Amino acid sequence: MKTENKAWALLREHAAAQIAPGFPERVLQAARAAASPLFIAHFAMCAATAVACLAAVALYHARISGDEDTQSIAGWGEIASQASDFEQGL
Amino acid sequence: MRELIVAYQHRVAGFTYAITGRSDSVEDLVQVVFVKMARSIARLKAPEQFEPWLFRLARNTCIDHLRRQKLRRIFVPFAPEHENVPEPPGSVDTEELDALRHALAQLRPKDRALLALVQEGRSHTEIAESFSTSVAAVKARLHRAREQLRQHYQSDEN
Repeated sequence: MKTENKAWALLREHAAAQIAPGFPERVLQAARAAASPLFIAHFAMCAATAVACLAAVALYHARISGDEDTQSIAGWGEIASQASDFEQGL
Repeated sequence: MRELIVAYQHRVAGFTYAITGRSDSVEDLVQVVFVKMARSIARLKAPEQFEPWLFRLARNTCIDHLRRQKLRRIFVPFAPEHENVPEPPGSVDTEELDALRHALAQLRPKDRALLALVQEGRSHTEIAESFSTSVAAVKARLHRAREQLRQHYQSDEN
């Protein structure tokens, strides 16, 4: 138990040693950067790019599937007229 | 704000290290905790709740970090030599600390957080509030976690 307590103390000491001098200043700088208009503008830019990409993909998909639909309908129309011609021939 | 960071940086570092077990990520994680603190401290209604609130923030940050790491490993499988990279040589210089670190690594992250919170002097009631559970459940989990830690710690020492 005693060695375990000593080990916990060493763990805290070791972890504390990982914090380099000037840490509070770096944190405050990072906090300010996270709240800065530049960060927000950067985030908004990323979001706008993502939305534009999604819209482009959706538009392209709608167009491709629209063309496919038109081709399929034309194909089915042809088959239907051939079938009705065949029926009349019987 | 600076005074708060200075006052708590070492304690949060110890807490973070106990949960993650990696000294190379301690400073980054502690920074994330304090940035979150700086951004949301205005919403903290009761100033006397600051300490439990800060350690809850630290605990959630560490658990999120471990979860993200696990997820990343699913999507980007590491080569065997990149799995469980050992601590840099000389970073853990005592046998006791090494044994404790290995023993902690055998526990679940939530149990490590529980033990670290106790080491930080948090009461069972405060821990129960942080974990959204009952005091009895905290006591039971703590007892189990301590037993497991002791077993692994002793086997590592021998």
